[in-house]
Amino acid sequence: MAEKSGKRPPDPAENFRNLVNEWERGFDAMANRFMGTDEFSRSMNQLQDLQLSMQKRFNEAMAEQLANFNIPSRDDILQLGEAVHALDKRVARVESLLAKKGKKKKKKANASTRSGPPRTKQPPSTRQEADDG
Amino acid sequence: MAEESVSPEILKRARKIVDQTIQRNVKGLEFLTGPPAKVGLTPKDVIYERGTLRLYHYHPLADEIYRVPLLLVMATTNKAYVFDLAPGQSMVEYLLKQGFDVYVIDWEPPVPAERNLNLADYTQDFIPTCVDRVLEDSGEPDLSIVGYCMGGVLSLIYAASHTDGPLKNLACLTTPVDWSEMGLTAIWSDEKHFDVDRLVDTLGIVPKSTVTAMFEMLRPAQKTAGQIRVWEQMWNDDFVASYRAFERWGNETLPLAGEYMRDTTKELMWGNKLFDGTLKVGGKSARLSDITIPVFAAMAEHDHIVSYKASKPLLELVGSEDKEEIVLKGGHVSLIAGPNAARRMWPKLAEWMGERSV
Repeated sequence: MAEKSGKRPPDPAENFRNLVNEWERGFDAMANRFMGTDEFSRSMNQLQDLQLSMQKRFNEAMAEQLANFNIPSRDDILQLGEAVHALDKRVARVESLLAKKGKKKKKKANASTRSGPPRTKQPPSTRQEADDG
Repeated sequence: MAEESVSPEILKRARKIVDQTIQRNVKGLEFLTGPPAKVGLTPKDVIYERGTLRLYHYHPLADEIYRVPLLLVMATTNKAYVFDLAPGQSMVEYLLKQGFDVYVIDWEPPVPAERNLNLADYTQDFIPTCVDRVLEDSGEPDLSIVGYCMGGVLSLIYAASHTDGPLKNLACLTTPVDWSEMGLTAIWSDEKHFDVDRLVDTLGIVPKSTVTAMFEMLRPAQKTAGQIRVWEQMWNDDFVASYRAFERWGNETLPLAGEYMRDTTKELMWGNKLFDGTLKVGGKSARLSDITIPVFAAMAEHDHIVSYKASKPLLELVGSEDKEEIVLKGGHVSLIAGPNAARRMWPKLAEWMGERSV
């Protein structure tokens, strides 16, 4: 049957997309209402605390076992890593100081010695005025 | 009986559905078995790296550039390639073509030995060090900073605690200032229930799974809805490519250094000290009212991570006279990446920054 009115036939794909959008919006709104309560926050954090307690006990038990076998524990390795990290930070500070000292003696490189395009671009309003003029 | 004919419009629609269904099956296999999306493709050099910190300098794309270099500061929870998702969908590429000399601070996952990095390390060490490197590399005495989300917070703290420094202009994109308006995140990290000391003391580094879970809980249906949409649009190569890039970025959240998490929770979330002007970082005062350089703020009306109310007060709090804001429809990520960003935010940022980069 030929179309009598000017109305577009329904697009199932578009309808499906709208359905997904509506579902997402509705589900998120409902979930946020539930998760935005004080009770939810308390429960969620209590669960996290429980997991952290178990993790802590596991860490302590593991450290004890490693100590029995005279093997470095995670904390030992971490302390080593932190010492390296602290050294790295000190080296960076020294490098920075040296660079600043070097900069005071060095003249600012002019455009011809520094690579890259010239730093001569003008702001949009100046260019607009030039175009209008 | 008169012969009935089917509307040409319906026939065309039916043919389209059949085509798309066939393509969906063919491309679906490619989607499931293909390599990760290629992202962050604009050529760049790593000019500084230390632990979790990376500083990139992008190769220029214009024949003439603005004098003042531009440093983008990424949020610590995610990778910076969201600024450079794909050719044609890249804020970095856009800014380079507009004539900016672009640098980016990116983050690698902090290792266990970096668990003691705190807010002072990020704002009094990392950012100032990167600022020095940018000035040295560019040969210029000053620079502009654009901070995104928590990158904006770090930039604000840096700006407020280095008021005599070389910072010329500051732009903050979806940056939380009033942390009491952080919605669900504030409720979940309520001091009454959230023991941040226990979390940090036990784990050292807050794992990526905790950060990812927090983001996903803010929009629990988003992942499923996204997967349904990409299945439905599997025949659409551009849609699928964009989805895969965003999905990769969303999956690559970063763990957080424990002390940084502790500081952010206690000083910013619980104390709201950035908002009320009492924040001290590394012994230095970080009052927003001490910032007097030009400031640009971009906010998203429907931001589910940093609510509009959390980011809105920025311009009222800074001491700057030259300040401007833009509010876009859309969300936290679409403000900086995607068609809406390309049409509105990027040009506005480029125009504002361009006027002040000579």
